[in-house]
Amino acid sequence: MTHPTPRTRGALRTAADARRDALETVRLATRIRDEWIDEGLSALPADRPAAEAAISELYARVRRPAPRFVWVPSPAAAPTAGATTRPMPPPRFDALPDRHDGWPAASLIAALHARLDLRVGDVIARRRRVHGYFHFERWRTDAPEQAVREGADAAFVVSEALLPALTRTVRDSLLMPLRALLNAEAGDPSGYACYGQHGVHKAGAYDVWRRTGLLRLRPEDSEQLDVWAAVARSCGWWWPGDEECVVSERPVDVRTDSAPDGGRRPHSVDGQAVRYADGWGFHAVNGTRVPEWVITDPTPERIAAEPNVEIRRCAIERLGWDAYTELAGLRLVGSAPDPGNPGSELCLFDLPGNTWGGPARLLLTVNGSVERDGTRRRYGLTVPFDLPDPLAAAAWTYGLDSDQYARLQRRT
Amino acid sequence: MPMTLTLSDLTRQTGLDVLDHLEMDAAIPVLDGLQAQGDLIVVPLADLADAVTVEDRARWRPVPPDGVEVLRGGAGGNPHTLVAEPLSCRWTEDLHDRDGLALGVLRADRPVHLMHPEHGASGIAPGTYAIRRQREGRGPMINRSTHTYVYD
Repeated sequence: MTHPTPRTRGALRTAADARRDALETVRLATRIRDEWIDEGLSALPADRPAAEAAISELYARVRRPAPRFVWVPSPAAAPTAGATTRPMPPPRFDALPDRHDGWPAASLIAALHARLDLRVGDVIARRRRVHGYFHFERWRTDAPEQAVREGADAAFVVSEALLPALTRTVRDSLLMPLRALLNAEAGDPSGYACYGQHGVHKAGAYDVWRRTGLLRLRPEDSEQLDVWAAVARSCGWWWPGDEECVVSERPVDVRTDSAPDGGRRPHSVDGQAVRYADGWGFHAVNGTRVPEWVITDPTPERIAAEPNVEIRRCAIERLGWDAYTELAGLRLVGSAPDPGNPGSELCLFDLPGNTWGGPARLLLTVNGSVERDGTRRRYGLTVPFDLPDPLAAAAWTYGLDSDQYARLQRRT
Repeated sequence: MPMTLTLSDLTRQTGLDVLDHLEMDAAIPVLDGLQAQGDLIVVPLADLADAVTVEDRARWRPVPPDGVEVLRGGAGGNPHTLVAEPLSCRWTEDLHDRDGLALGVLRADRPVHLMHPEHGASGIAPGTYAIRRQREGRGPMINRSTHTYVYD
């Protein structure tokens, strides 16, 4: 008996094949992204030889001799590292001499990075525009693999669903709070800084595009990206001076919890969330940078005086919603049994004045499921001030009216 | 399959995990009315006739064996997952919601379940339902610009 020769199907790719490939690409991209998130959150001592070698290589690429290296324990220590090492303010490119020979090293290195951004970042931005942003609702981006199974393009999923978590974890939750802190404490001391491990929302993201094969880089760009990636893997912020380069160590402690987008966010209810060896850093709860009192001593007075809603919410949750409504003396508008949640009450309070960023009431509810310790968690939701009673308020949170909400059969 | 399942039946069948302090062996009621699961609510579509409309050309897709992740939660990233026996439930996200709260609409021919690691499972009787999320807000009721979604 003879068997028919199997037909080669090399050229015939089915939609299922394409989806499987896209799924593999997205999984690979997720792994690479997570590696870079880990680099951004790393609290290991800097790899000084690797950092110095990579930074010297960047100097060589702009035809400058390798600088002397001055290591500091944190970015906050950089401005006091010495008069000659104090980083210069960033000169505007159009205010610089025509000839590159006359440029400060910082400007040359800034231009080097800008060129890479232009060649890689702009290509990506253009592709994103082709796909359009409107297909992806924000909440959908939390399920990248599902998006691929539904037929979304891998490059689109990587840019809209995977990489935002890297940017939010590293740039938005670490770099920006640290920079704001540094500027608040010391004016603008930094001039042109490179961000090492906290710059992985660029170098790391480009690496994701490159290693998944979704973007082909020119060889010279790829080589340069290797150098930026090596810096990102080995040290913290650095200031490229003409003769001296000030480089910061990484933090010694970074505490996080997981963020809804698949990334991480600074979180510690016991000391600073980010701490450098010299004590510099910040406190944070679930990704919100908070003053120390929120952790150590939240009181209704401090909460009432705090202008930032997010910080106020963190402080109240530290204190507990019940304790807060009692200590702050909030006026109870009414209470009612929570339908579908036997034994639990809905309570509606008036919130004083405009302290919540607009006139509002507070609905205090009880979770339908027990916590590990057997208790049910209470939580507060702000609702419009013209809701008359707790039932109407609870109904409003789901876009229902009181009669509909009263028919709730079960809450878990 | 029996009409009522327990949480341990469901975790075995779906491979989805729930926290081990939840009641594993109690039957999960299968209900045809409103049910809330943390920051989500399941509402019979007929009750929302003036608020939620499914597009005429909506793409309905079968709920796959590993379920549809309806919404991923806040800290810890716990998802609400819709699970169903094969070919017994379809799901669409092509809809309009006056309040912008509906995540999707499900159409079940047999009982289906919405699962969450911290909240356990909600049994949903055959029928058509919208799943909406929860919001909070300030200002007057009529002003929609200050609303935010709740992540529990």
